[in-house]
Amino acid sequence: MDFRFLAAVRAACALWLWLMAATAVAQASQQPSECTLSASGRVIDHESRQGLPGATVVVLETQQATPTDVAGNYHFHLCAGLYHLQVSYLGYSGEVAEVRVAEAVIRDFRLHPDAILLNSAVVQGQRTAAPTTQPTAVLAGQALQQTRGQALGEALQKLAGVTAIQTGPGIFKPMIHGLHSNRVTILNNGVRQEGQQWGVEHGPEIDPFIASRLTVVKGAASVRYGSDAIGGVVLVEPKPLRDSAGTGAELTLVGMSNNGLGAASGTLDGNVRRLPALSWRAQATLRRAGTMRTPDYYLKNSGFAERNFSGAVGWRKPTYGLDVFYSQFNTRIGILPASHAESKTDLLLAIARPEPLETTDFTYDIDRAYQQVRHDVAKLTGFVQTGAVGQLQLTLAQQTDFRDEYDKFRPRNDNLASLDKPELSYTNRTSTAELLWEHKPWHHFRGSVGLAGTYQHNRYADGSRQFIPYYTNIVGGAFWIEKWQQGAWLLEGGLRLDQRDLAVKRGDRDASGAFFVDRSRFRYTTPAASVGATYDPSAHFTFSLNTGLTRRAPAANERFSEGVHNGMFELGNDLVPGATPLAPETALNTGLTVNWHANPRFNGEVTVYQNRILGFIYQVPLTEPVQTVRGSHISWQYVQTDATFRGLDVSSSYQLAADWLVSAKGSVVRTRDTRADEWQILMPADRLETTLRYTWSHDRGRLTGRYAQAGVYAVARQTRVPANYEARDLLAPPAGYALLNAEVGTTVRWGRLPLAVSLAGSNLLNQRYRDYLNRYRYFSDEMGRNLSLRVHIPLELPHKRK
Amino acid sequence: MTHPLIKKSWLALLLVAPLLGACSKDNDDPQPDDDNEQITTVRYELTPVGGGTPVTVQYRDPDGDGGVAPVIGTLTLAAGKTYTGKLVVLDETKNPVVNTADEIKAEADEHIFFFEPSNVNLTISRTDKDAKGLELGLETRVVAGAANAATTTGTLKITLRHQPGTKNGTFAPGDTDVEVTFPTAVR
Repeated sequence: MDFRFLAAVRAACALWLWLMAATAVAQASQQPSECTLSASGRVIDHESRQGLPGATVVVLETQQATPTDVAGNYHFHLCAGLYHLQVSYLGYSGEVAEVRVAEAVIRDFRLHPDAILLNSAVVQGQRTAAPTTQPTAVLAGQALQQTRGQALGEALQKLAGVTAIQTGPGIFKPMIHGLHSNRVTILNNGVRQEGQQWGVEHGPEIDPFIASRLTVVKGAASVRYGSDAIGGVVLVEPKPLRDSAGTGAELTLVGMSNNGLGAASGTLDGNVRRLPALSWRAQATLRRAGTMRTPDYYLKNSGFAERNFSGAVGWRKPTYGLDVFYSQFNTRIGILPASHAESKTDLLLAIARPEPLETTDFTYDIDRAYQQVRHDVAKLTGFVQTGAVGQLQLTLAQQTDFRDEYDKFRPRNDNLASLDKPELSYTNRTSTAELLWEHKPWHHFRGSVGLAGTYQHNRYADGSRQFIPYYTNIVGGAFWIEKWQQGAWLLEGGLRLDQRDLAVKRGDRDASGAFFVDRSRFRYTTPAASVGATYDPSAHFTFSLNTGLTRRAPAANERFSEGVHNGMFELGNDLVPGATPLAPETALNTGLTVNWHANPRFNGEVTVYQNRILGFIYQVPLTEPVQTVRGSHISWQYVQTDATFRGLDVSSSYQLAADWLVSAKGSVVRTRDTRADEWQILMPADRLETTLRYTWSHDRGRLTGRYAQAGVYAVARQTRVPANYEARDLLAPPAGYALLNAEVGTTVRWGRLPLAVSLAGSNLLNQRYRDYLNRYRYFSDEMGRNLSLRVHIPLELPHKRK
Repeated sequence: MTHPLIKKSWLALLLVAPLLGACSKDNDDPQPDDDNEQITTVRYELTPVGGGTPVTVQYRDPDGDGGVAPVIGTLTLAAGKTYTGKLVVLDETKNPVVNTADEIKAEADEHIFFFEPSNVNLTISRTDKDAKGLELGLETRVVAGAANAATTTGTLKITLRHQPGTKNGTFAPGDTDVEVTFPTAVR
């Protein structure tokens, strides 16, 4: 396994060096000349005949490139000779044309809309645009389509630098540059997702089908999004409300062979002809999976079932607008019996088995233990132009997260058992409000000032087990962000101040067993500041440098979690006898990104970063294990240390020939505990994904946009782990692995409908492997071979005629 | 245009927003976890066959998991004697106290106790059975053999396995509900 991974990496590196050399040679061989023959033309939409501004036109031979102007015109000066012009534009199928230049030539292009891209990649009027000087990665269009049917955290792994903390096949928690949970903020349609962030087995309660675009801000973005965002931000952005009259619909269907996953998601949106200001959208998703199969056995109780829906209504006028949005997410996820241990003995027995004691046949049934989660979001946004000087925006949101966890066995007492109550039952309610004023450009300055507030309270059901106490968290903050842009330079700076008040009520028993309530309260003021610059010297290169300083106050779970969870005893820092109470973390994050784009052959992006976190809060084993009636437990405590995260994300592609594209994505992160001078535990291993893609340049009958791709996803063994690892973890990190994946796809014209169809295979060699960041790795292997069939059907509904 | 009006209503909403949350019941206090089964006390009562003073040892953790550490007694038996053993299992966090042993007895076909002496001369056999004829272990017969060497003490580990639908007389299936270890000596 290790050897295979190394070989793959070596091959990829060799290929890379070769590509770099090839580009260097290609660039060096360009001769300056006095060629002044004009080659020009216009790029227009095939249907509407309107000019397409900002389309990229590239002379493949000389690598000259230019964007089209406002009317869609382009212009080159060339020597006499034969050239190939390549035109590309987001939302349209690209074209390449042969042009013989002997005198001034005019060559027009009529581009065809690309159904797949058009339906999912055109984003307008975003409320939550990412800071421009920070490293960001976007999943949209066909790349997003290729992840349909997967959970949010699973889909995001497509992006370099983003991994996931996983619990079996149903639960993926996004991890950005080695940070997750409390340190990653997720914005669901502009609303800060306030689920139950503490558990690594609590996946984000979001239906990814809602999104037409997923953006990840890699690195601290606390000034705009609040002090928790010291690891990064995930923006889940739905398709904007329709702005032209009519009714549209789209339907996505997904089927998977391994676990019998079936997913169907439909969206219906419209704009009222007689009331052009009024738009609406309705969306619903069903997703269900049965037992997952590793190469050798079925993973008992690994199914899940999800039902989600959302609706939005908007009223838009040039000077004001109002949007109302509501969404509901419902899921039931089975938990592997082997992972649901009650004691150290059980846990160690389960880990020692090469495969789980209980396996099963295929079924869609979900037994105990399972999680039942529901998340409701209601949102109201509005904007109003404040005269000629700016725009005022208000976002109000109310969200509720219900999380019930059912243990493997019902209570012994028949009366209690017949109630079928969850053993853990939490309700978390959050109200958020944000008032933002954006001022109009003034002397190259653009910016916004905002106020943000959060009111949150967490409860568990009467009579159920306490693991996280009652708490009420009130946050109020103010921020100011300014951008200055002139020529090739964009400078950005921001400041934020948050005031945070956490009140905790914890049920406890004294030595005699009498119940009492322990109250505590914490108040912090946490500042955040950031500065950044982007230098954009040409149409092909941008350099961005950003640095930010953030403080994050400790969360309730880091202070006060207490109890046995999956066979291990977890204890918040403040409950450990003699421990110093937790103090806020301070993070200094710096990232440098180089992006080269719109080149005919070689495009890509490299990000290097460092994140220094003082007072980094993480879990370590307790030296004195906690004794319960079920024996002594492997016990974990939250402590603080200083940690330095350094890493590199690379993603790039090389056009080998007109039809062949090779691409690679990789990420590396190195994390040191600088107090103890050792590696940090549970950090993502080095990974590299290389893909070779063939795109047919000619259509065949009803088939357009045909492509085929194959790739290898390789993950190394994590060797940078703390010394005396046996005392820190139950199992050493698993071996590295390399998986073979492949996909074919096309758009089929079916009547007037362009159906996007694709078939993807993952882990094609049915390899047995385990991943370091999957909590099931102690008990079972990962998913075996899986084939996924995806169909995307866009519909334009005919108008009613009078 | 009704800008000022709209602006005012928004400001009003902004002020009201936190109150919306505040209206819900959040000045309440956590309640005892009454629906949650716990075991706080495991007592092993040993009565010498043919009469004598009963010997008792117990594990007791009245505040449940975590918090104050449990109190664990020491068991001392007389060499060569035979005892009738009885396990008492309680949840003392509830009022009234729940007799968990009764519930275990009622669901005998889902439970089995294991007794593992170490460095102490004890032979323990289960004397009760479930409806399917598989042993349970709430009732036992304990034979104390030769005495421990002067200053040495062994241990007795008592484990309750919860095996709904999978009980077959062996240890492997199911989960552990009780695992307590008593310092034990034969004198």
